[in-house]
Amino acid sequence: MQLEVPQQSLLLLIILFPLGGAIINGLIGRYMPKGLVTVVGVGTVAVSFALAVASFIELYGLRHEAEQATLTYHFYEWFSLKLPAGDVVPVNVRFMMDSLGGIMTLVVTGVGGLIHLYSVGYMGEDEGYARFMSFLNLFMASMLILVLGSSVPVMFIGWEGVGLCSYLLIGFWYENRDYASAGRKAFVVNRIGDFGVLIGMFILVGVAGSFEFTDINAAAMGGQFRPDFPIWVSGVAPSLATVACVFLFLGCTGKSAQIPLYVWLPDAMAGPTPVSALIHAATMVTAGVYLCCRLSPLFITSDVAMSIIAVTGTLTALLAASIAVVQREMKKILAYSTVSQLGFMFAAVGVGFFAAGFFHVFTHAFFKACLFLGAGSVMHAVHAHGDADIFKLGGLKKDLPITRWTFLASCLAIAGFPLTSGFFSKDEILLGAAAQIYRRDDPLMTSVGWFTLIGLSLAAVMTAFYMFRLYFLTFTGDYRSADQSGDHPYDAHPHESPPSMSIPLIVLGIGALVVGFLGLPHVMPITGMHLPSWWSEWMHASVAGRPVPEELHIVNLASGLAFGAMAIGIGGAWVLYRNKNTDALTETIPARLYQLAFDKWRVDELYAAIIVNPIKKIATVAGRADMTFVDALMTRLPSFNVRESGRILSRMQSGVVQMYAAVMVVGVVAVLAWFWTPHSHIEATFEDTSVELTTPQGIGYEYRWDANSDGEFDTQWDRVPGTTFEYARDDIRGVAVFLSNVQSGVERRVRVTEDWTPLPVESVVPADLRSPHDTGFEVRVDGQDLLFRRPGARTKGEIRLPMGRDGRLGLARVFARPVVEATVEVRNAFGNTRRATKEIALPFSVDAPSHASLMPMTREVVR
Amino acid sequence: MTTQYLTWLLALPAISALVVLLMPRSWETAIKRFSIGAMLVELVISIRLVLADYSDAGYHFVEHVTWVESFGISYKVGVDGLSLWLVILTTLLSPIALYASWGSITTRIKEYAFSFLLLELGMLGAFVALDLFLFYVFWELMLVPMYLIIGVWGGKDRVYAAVKFFLYTMVGSLLMLIAILYVVSSYQKLAGHYTFDLQELSTLVLPALPQYLLFAAFALAFAIKVPMFPFHTWLPDAHVQAPTGGSVILAAVLLKLGIYGFVRFAMPLFPVASEAIGPILAGLGVVGIIYGAYTAWVQRDLKKLIAYSSVSHMGFVLLGLFAMNRTGISGAMLQMINHGISTGALFLLVGAIYDRRHSRMLDDFGGLAKVMPWYAVFFVIITMSSIGLPGTNGFIGEFMILAGSFFSRSPIGFGSAWFIMTLLAATGVVFAAVYMLHAVLRMFWGRVVHAENESLTDLNRREVLSLLPLIVMVFWIGLYPKFFLDKMNPAVDSFVSEFTVRYHEGRRTSEPRLVDFEELADRFEAAGGLAMAQPTDEEVAR
Repeated sequence: MQLEVPQQSLLLLIILFPLGGAIINGLIGRYMPKGLVTVVGVGTVAVSFALAVASFIELYGLRHEAEQATLTYHFYEWFSLKLPAGDVVPVNVRFMMDSLGGIMTLVVTGVGGLIHLYSVGYMGEDEGYARFMSFLNLFMASMLILVLGSSVPVMFIGWEGVGLCSYLLIGFWYENRDYASAGRKAFVVNRIGDFGVLIGMFILVGVAGSFEFTDINAAAMGGQFRPDFPIWVSGVAPSLATVACVFLFLGCTGKSAQIPLYVWLPDAMAGPTPVSALIHAATMVTAGVYLCCRLSPLFITSDVAMSIIAVTGTLTALLAASIAVVQREMKKILAYSTVSQLGFMFAAVGVGFFAAGFFHVFTHAFFKACLFLGAGSVMHAVHAHGDADIFKLGGLKKDLPITRWTFLASCLAIAGFPLTSGFFSKDEILLGAAAQIYRRDDPLMTSVGWFTLIGLSLAAVMTAFYMFRLYFLTFTGDYRSADQSGDHPYDAHPHESPPSMSIPLIVLGIGALVVGFLGLPHVMPITGMHLPSWWSEWMHASVAGRPVPEELHIVNLASGLAFGAMAIGIGGAWVLYRNKNTDALTETIPARLYQLAFDKWRVDELYAAIIVNPIKKIATVAGRADMTFVDALMTRLPSFNVRESGRILSRMQSGVVQMYAAVMVVGVVAVLAWFWTPHSHIEATFEDTSVELTTPQGIGYEYRWDANSDGEFDTQWDRVPGTTFEYARDDIRGVAVFLSNVQSGVERRVRVTEDWTPLPVESVVPADLRSPHDTGFEVRVDGQDLLFRRPGARTKGEIRLPMGRDGRLGLARVFARPVVEATVEVRNAFGNTRRATKEIALPFSVDAPSHASLMPMTREVVR
Repeated sequence: MTTQYLTWLLALPAISALVVLLMPRSWETAIKRFSIGAMLVELVISIRLVLADYSDAGYHFVEHVTWVESFGISYKVGVDGLSLWLVILTTLLSPIALYASWGSITTRIKEYAFSFLLLELGMLGAFVALDLFLFYVFWELMLVPMYLIIGVWGGKDRVYAAVKFFLYTMVGSLLMLIAILYVVSSYQKLAGHYTFDLQELSTLVLPALPQYLLFAAFALAFAIKVPMFPFHTWLPDAHVQAPTGGSVILAAVLLKLGIYGFVRFAMPLFPVASEAIGPILAGLGVVGIIYGAYTAWVQRDLKKLIAYSSVSHMGFVLLGLFAMNRTGISGAMLQMINHGISTGALFLLVGAIYDRRHSRMLDDFGGLAKVMPWYAVFFVIITMSSIGLPGTNGFIGEFMILAGSFFSRSPIGFGSAWFIMTLLAATGVVFAAVYMLHAVLRMFWGRVVHAENESLTDLNRREVLSLLPLIVMVFWIGLYPKFFLDKMNPAVDSFVSEFTVRYHEGRRTSEPRLVDFEELADRFEAAGGLAMAQPTDEEVAR
């Protein structure tokens, strides 16, 4: 059952508050006292959070009345498109909150609010504080538009808006050109993804006839995306759904940092830490997963697209985790960890466990934001700028107790320690992969299932390992910057952060531990006890998904792998790094492999070599060619021609009379040559039953006509360039069949005889309107009739069309005309003659000249 | 009798130009104020045009006075949904460009103001003329002041650039004149009298071959103006050499006349040729999108970069135009306005920095965000508009154009040329981000490395005042484009359906004839649309 609350203006206000904050702080923030900037910046988000809670409560209440409850707000019509069929599709600025959007709104405003609060302490001393707050607010507004937009284009405003904010915030410290470059990289890479969203959007609207998510999903469920997408490679026929999903997923790989477009996210750590926490961990980067969930009924119809997503997600999870294992800097490790965790989410989407993927978005928002803020707290404590090298830290648990405990809680959560939030969400994802193995109906799906399950388990081992490597090296052992003699050491006396920073840490840390209980597994491993899962109940209304397996062996397999991975990972880190000061990994794995992983598998260099540099080279060549080659062709060549021909002409007019005479002779000869023989052709016009034959008049020409070309001239030499003639039955030389396409007006004419002649149907009727087995037609004259047949057709039936009547072949009109031949002989003043002959198709029947009229327009369908 | 707004719109700059001519050279302030004032009055008059009801497709504010009776030349003007916003764009940007010029133009003030008023007259005339002869007169008229503006107040190589501009445009327009005369004489043979009236000439249906030749002649003139690849090479030179005000008008309004010419004249008069050659022009548009973007990326001169970005943007407009559906054409028409606003603003911004630094080389800048924060804000906003960020005007235009081209003619699929063209054009959206953000990076981010840049002052009142209306337009069109599209769509709808009818008529004809299109449209309507239309007896007779 559906229930919709229209015009719930809270939805608009949720967005407008942060937007207003952004405008105020952006325009006049730099002239306002810092306190006021804080009130505007944090206050608007806090109000927004309160409004989000209020609307969520309303939504929650509605859920008791109807399964699919939504709040909507129609703001205004933005613009409209007209589709080929003639329907006008409006693009409405309309917002919608359903169960999916409700959760996401709470996460965005809630976690966002905490990070705003944290920023007060973290960025308070920065001279660009107001600018920072303004950008952060603008980000909140964009993200909320992304989440609440009820149609793809409105979501796209937010989608690109968050990209802009990301660009501005990564390059926030713009005086460092590398940071600004990182921002630009993020924007450009995201734009590549946006290209995919744009094209995907067109396919969606082309099929569904609407931009609204609900309509698109309904169309997907109605099977409208099932038809093939025509493609030139024969034998490959993806469905429309597959193509649309692949294009959309390209957008997701950009925004959510998946292979191949993940490369911007690690560089994005150039931004201030709250930005990394909010945008590049908790909210924006999960937008891709959110989009997949939004359109889950569409994605689930395409097994191919789903497999691509599952494999991409798994590969990304593995690749990023393998890089994170060897990195030295806190934020860099966390960045790769984010990429890897996003891979987990996409793998869940790819195996059809959308709700599980989104549950991981939810839990990840808590523990990853907490980890980033914790890293920020550490950096703040030791006065590290940009990033912090964990090999210069250590033993911070004494000085930073709050940071340490919250960090530990989050590390446990991300590693999947039992009963923490990450435990539940990761378990569910592995369960999805395991369930797919048992889909024995389709070998592709089974193998994707195996790949995903094994890949994710390995990635989970690495996750637990690198997170605890990070934890142990930072918080246990000795503080390695205490001895100030080292290479660029940090502050010798770390201090705990102010309350505005530690409160968010505590809230998020607790969240990281407990929010998992919202999504208890359906079936408890080992015991097989059925548990109530609030999460899947809640998400069920707006997110599609494959069925959750109830078989105990599958549940045990998934849980066993999850637990095992966590135990191995944490155990390994415990042995290698607890209370240690050096990187034991360098001794355990080959140095070259270590270096390669440390260099991020050199993917950036690979992209530079095979994509960026070639394009740059082409651009350079184009830039040079434009001012040389193209300009030369269009400007200098013509001007050269004019100049040179002018020079030659002026040379000729040198006053040498012989030259003039020579030129004159050439000219006279040319003129004489033209006039030596006469030129002519025949044109025919029809009047009643008589045909008027004319030919262009030439000076001094004389004409004589042989209108029926029987070799006897019908007229004497005469200066009048025309004659009139009435044709008799004997004059007919043959029959011409006309094919005329009614739509395009294309006309073809064929002479037919008593022998079979092929008809050029293909040039008249477009290929797409003919059946692929159409072998064309042949035609011949048979007495007073025309006979049509299909050569090689199974049915040898011949079709008879009386001469003088009209027929139809597909879109082409067919009719026959008698053909006569007219000849004219022309004589000029030199006495030279020349003949011109023309075949004329008579528009009337010559059988009955007495009441000759235009042929009757009767139609017979020839099939 | 209704007020003759259009005549006033044309008379005012003409009269003002004369008045400026009569003013003593030394009254510099008076000349400046007077010319701006006249242009502002123009703006007010033109806003009156917006208030009309454009829900039906016909021409509004039509005035028709016979001029040379024996040749059928008349003074016939009018606006419809296609020309309305271009008129507004002209009247909006002319005062802005002139006002901004007063910051940098210090010599021959009087002649400059005179040229600008004359230029405005020419542009407005070309947009409202409904008589081919009148159109041609205005078309040529605006060439002269622009030639002077580049050639007199331009940069180092101004004469070369001005002559190149003049010759390029002239070659095209001469062929167009011949084509116009051919059309008129074909009409005279059938109707027995001469006329240059567009609406009367529209009843003429020509067979395919003359259509191709005439369309080619028109298209050359318009393609040069657009400028379409590969006829664009005059543009970078003209822009680099032109003074700020000239660049603004050149980019914002003059280029639009090419597209407008296609829509108003070339496409309706020669539909068969347009349908056959249009996809090729759209293809060249796509080449222009990518080529322009690539070339823009490697430019070191900011003005050249923007000039090439114009080639790229106008490629989008061509693509949308020849998609031949409402979405594409409305998008193209809107994108023209968008390009006028964003590129006009970009040239104003370049002018602002050039006045301070006397350089436009990207290498000479860096870290300007620190020294000129408001300048950076304006620049980034306009950049976002230029690369089509949703919420700004650029997005709506590009989105509609891409959608129009995506849904043009054939079903969705990888076999369709339009699908491929849409894909390629959409990569232009990516490249736009590359070259514009490249410029932003080089200009604003990083440290101030050149000592000369440390003492630069932020935007002054004149510059802010001239930019603000454009910023407002950026967001107005971006957030509520419906206001603009609603006035445009009926005209575009009728343009498309008329075009289709004309096209089919043209396909059926083997010799020139006159067709009453209104009657024909009714017949098609009655037959249930084009697919069902039956040939007439006359055609059977062939």
